[in-house]
Amino acid sequence: MNYEALDVSGDAGIRARGRSPEEAFAAAATGMYSLITDLAGVQEKKSIEVSAEADSLEGLLVGFLNELVFHFDAYGFIGRRVEIARLGSGQVRAVVHGEEFDRSRHRPGLLIKAATYHGLKIENAGGLWDAEVIFDI
Amino acid sequence: MAVRTVKRIDEYRIELPQTYVPGMRVKGIIYLDEALERGLEEKAMIQVANVAMLPGIVGASLAMPDIHMGYGFAIGGVAAFSMEDGIISPGGVGYDINCGVRLLKSRLTRQAVAPALRRLLDILFTEIPSGVGSKGKLRLGRQELEKVMTGGALWAAGEGMGSARDLERIESGGRMEGADPSLVSVKAHERGSAQIGSLGSGNHFLEIQYVDEIYDEEGARRLGLHRDQVTVMIHTGSRGFGHQVCTDYLEVMERAIRKYGIELPDRELACAPVNSPEAQDYLRAMRAAANYAWANRQAIMHWTRQAFMKTMGMGPEDLGMEMVYDVAHNIAKIEEHVVNGKKVKLAVHRKGATRAFAPGHPELPEAYRQTGQPVLVPGDMGRASFVLLGTRRAMDETWGSTCHGAGRVLSRHEAIRRARGRSIYRELEDMGIIVISAGRETLAEEMSEAYKDISNVVDVVHGAGISKKVARLRPMGVVKG
Repeated sequence: MNYEALDVSGDAGIRARGRSPEEAFAAAATGMYSLITDLAGVQEKKSIEVSAEADSLEGLLVGFLNELVFHFDAYGFIGRRVEIARLGSGQVRAVVHGEEFDRSRHRPGLLIKAATYHGLKIENAGGLWDAEVIFDI
Repeated sequence: MAVRTVKRIDEYRIELPQTYVPGMRVKGIIYLDEALERGLEEKAMIQVANVAMLPGIVGASLAMPDIHMGYGFAIGGVAAFSMEDGIISPGGVGYDINCGVRLLKSRLTRQAVAPALRRLLDILFTEIPSGVGSKGKLRLGRQELEKVMTGGALWAAGEGMGSARDLERIESGGRMEGADPSLVSVKAHERGSAQIGSLGSGNHFLEIQYVDEIYDEEGARRLGLHRDQVTVMIHTGSRGFGHQVCTDYLEVMERAIRKYGIELPDRELACAPVNSPEAQDYLRAMRAAANYAWANRQAIMHWTRQAFMKTMGMGPEDLGMEMVYDVAHNIAKIEEHVVNGKKVKLAVHRKGATRAFAPGHPELPEAYRQTGQPVLVPGDMGRASFVLLGTRRAMDETWGSTCHGAGRVLSRHEAIRRARGRSIYRELEDMGIIVISAGRETLAEEMSEAYKDISNVVDVVHGAGISKKVARLRPMGVVKG
């Protein structure tokens, strides 16, 4: 796994890692989904395309994750595999593979209200990109 | 240089002097006794100090005894800003706009409800969806949703969910003027279309309780509360609709801070001058979300009444399930207060704090004009909840505000770790409390140990005089998200 859950007072977060910003973004998204349900039970039945715009890498990550929160909360879409198609010049575009959340099959975890800027970090050290995001629960 | 010394003012108050963090425009005051001060997080204190740095803050940056670290603003924070040079900040309201608490009383005794409790909870759990991925019973199109945004609880009552009598016992009458649906995004519409009448998750709940202690006989009599009486408490907010409004406007504020050259110690404090189009647009969208929350609690209350009628085999008259009150504890409002002997309008932000207006306040309904505003403070599911009344002193010191709940002490992860190998469900059952929860982890995260003891929190606001204890409610049955 290229992400781990962060223990935050009252809420929950994710630390994600990748060899590129794209990998770190994909890991952060998968990590976020893992807080919502057990990903082992999620199948790749459909795909959605999402995009977000912001003028910083941090803004892009928060904007991107909030798009996924929106798709889950409005349409019940839960992803398990995330492909970042483009990241740069103020834009992120991604394809997410997953299915519709089904309460009879998917274990309910945390209800995420939003990805926040609180304690937000994206760091590049020794060729590895580390991202930390905290979610409002 | 920062001088991190805290001054104890009296038994129930500490002060963060302006030297606590350089740049503070006013001091910070936190309502705490020594015992609660021992558990105070330094990060939460810094957040109180950071809020004191915001332009146009009036009086002091305040926090209630249930304070804990939030995003930008601490949970439990209250801050008022000048209408000339102050700001409006979505972070001072929070993601769950108009998260709040509603209390219903009844003519039923604890003994009468006990045998039917499990069946009652089963019906409530089915009728009022909760937990991750749950949807409400209603599907609202755009036009209908716009009526919710402008009508609030009045919309729900118009749909047959409740009466005019309910509305007068809701803060702001269950409907804030000045909501503008055109300032709410399509995304918020989409998230909100299927969530009216749903509880959500996390610390939200619906609880069947009984009155187990009265502290103020006269106050309780006026509120219609007496020992062993069954009450129902509903704690939820504007669901995904409000979360999306907050997310959308945090982005707007990000741009606004650059446009207006506002320097901030923390990005989550993003804000705009109170008279700017950005701030005014946010307020109009926030009011739409606040109205959504009141419609939501009204719908949930309606289905709760129906569940009681069905289970108890009684009509509305015999059940007597009347509103005590409904409070918002995440909200920003333009209110009139007295500053240096003069009446002025202020932009009051309450984030995890409850309005607690004093007797005689013109915004209170006739029934509570003499008692002061009822304040509803939920505790954790194993301990108790409290009913208090607003006081004159709250008007003088806290812009008519008080605490909103227990405040977490354990992280979710730590709570789950400590619950491992235990059955929280069984432990509560042994205490005579039945819980139904959509998720097992929620149960562990929300266990009593994860929270401060609500009694200690309430004793501080009572001792400090910013509200007055009236009654204690004990849980009998709980529906958790």
